[in-house]
Amino acid sequence: MRGLFRWSGKWWLGVIPLVIFWAIAAWTSTEPLEADLAQRSTAALKDTILDKRRITVAGRDVTLAADAFAEDGRQGAVAAVEAVPGVRLVNDETRLVPEAKPFVWSAERDVLRVTLSGSSPLPAIRARLMEAARTNLGGVEVVDRMGLSRGAPPRFDTAALLLLDQIGKLKDGKITLSDSQVSLSGMARELGGREAIAAALKNLPEGFSVAANEVKAPPYIFQAYKDPVAMTLTLTGNAPDNNVHAALVAAAGRKFFSEKVVDNLKESIGAPAGFANAAVSALGALSRLSTGTLVVSDREVKLSGDALYEGAAGQIRAGLGKDFPQGWQFKPEISIKPAAAPVDATVCQQLFAELLGKARIRFESGKSDIVADSAGLLDRLIETALRCPTANIEIAGHTDSDGDDAANQALSERRAQAVADYLVKAGLPADRFSAAGYGATQPIAGNDTDQGKAQNRRIDFVVK
Amino acid sequence: MAYLTTFYWGWLLASVLLGFAMGWISVVQHGEGVTGKLRWALSVLVAALIGAALARVVPGRFGYWLDLGLILFALYLFGCVVGSCLRHWVVARSTPPA
Repeated sequence: MRGLFRWSGKWWLGVIPLVIFWAIAAWTSTEPLEADLAQRSTAALKDTILDKRRITVAGRDVTLAADAFAEDGRQGAVAAVEAVPGVRLVNDETRLVPEAKPFVWSAERDVLRVTLSGSSPLPAIRARLMEAARTNLGGVEVVDRMGLSRGAPPRFDTAALLLLDQIGKLKDGKITLSDSQVSLSGMARELGGREAIAAALKNLPEGFSVAANEVKAPPYIFQAYKDPVAMTLTLTGNAPDNNVHAALVAAAGRKFFSEKVVDNLKESIGAPAGFANAAVSALGALSRLSTGTLVVSDREVKLSGDALYEGAAGQIRAGLGKDFPQGWQFKPEISIKPAAAPVDATVCQQLFAELLGKARIRFESGKSDIVADSAGLLDRLIETALRCPTANIEIAGHTDSDGDDAANQALSERRAQAVADYLVKAGLPADRFSAAGYGATQPIAGNDTDQGKAQNRRIDFVVK
Repeated sequence: MAYLTTFYWGWLLASVLLGFAMGWISVVQHGEGVTGKLRWALSVLVAALIGAALARVVPGRFGYWLDLGLILFALYLFGCVVGSCLRHWVVARSTPPA
């Protein structure tokens, strides 16, 4: 032992090469060691969810800076790095991500892009939302302005994904999720989009509710254009369903007796309440015009064109609005067609025959009430009567052979009188018209078929 | 420590061999070694460095270099002790007893 003590006094000489060794080892090893420790620390944090993670290594000391999403996650991350072999110290610069109160997330769509902003609870959910937005919106630019925060309500991701589905149905607008309250505003992309969004919102996860849904639908448009040259009535725009579509086309067929109906209607939900009645009434008014356009846009009805005579214009302006359901607006722009040149009695008779050859004045079954569909025909008959102001006209009522003769006679007289009254009410002098009923005595077709009977039930205008 | 051993075993082995060589030589070398107060001062210095390393008060790279230096030095001393003892044993065997 004494020897060892004595010898050790001479060991200092070796310290000189040892120091050289040390210097070389330090020079060559520091950076590889730091890189190795950084890599091992990163690997140790592989399964830990952190945001803004930054690992810097000086010697064997690791500085870990990161935002954690829970206290135990934060402590776990530090412990995981401390456990990495070779690490001497961990400088803990981790912190919890701030808690958002209220927790607000929103998706906003404008013409060019969709912007996701507000808070997202985890990076993975944020990535999923971005991915879902890109998939749903195919081709639209998606901008990520989301931050990460704590405090998301349970099932946030399910709710946000469902809302992202809805942003695809908007042309522009914003969907905001504030804690568990959903607010929507903007304009639906298509008719029915508003309804589709409202239906989808019923599938929000439990606990979420809709605070405000102010999504507007694009205007529900129905248009009819009467072209007097081509003799067509063109229907364009929307009809709510198959039944209403068929009813509109059928009504147009009844009211426009000399025009061909061109049906370009599309079926789409989202019609305002009372649409079908309003559209049929408005078509009736259009049928009374010589040329005109009808535009139904949501609850606003615009009718423009030329009425055949002044009385008709007044009736249309005053009468149509009354037929509409509550909340509907009627904007008539009715002018009056210039009066046609007068003609003599023979031509007048020809014109009456022509008109009544195309269509018949129709009445309620078994009654003398003129149905509204005949207004267009009556207007044309009145217009013709105005062209021969000196001619006296007999309005002759006829029936088919069904029922007893006396009843048919009486019905034909009452119907002829109803027409005469209509003409007088329209402003024609009463003394020009005489109403006569002929019952079933003057058939123009056989009464053995329904078609023949229909032809026999008629009103004729006879110029005297 | 185990990590450093596996990482730099070459340098560590070199320190042991260097210590072994110095220990081997020191038994038969004539001349003055470190004595007296200087020996104590050096011991205190080494103890202070060990204390600093254990307390981890030296930060970053300097802390690592200190650890590395002390490990190399410890292995050097181990080599010296082994080398001196072995040489002494060899010398004692080859010298006939007086």
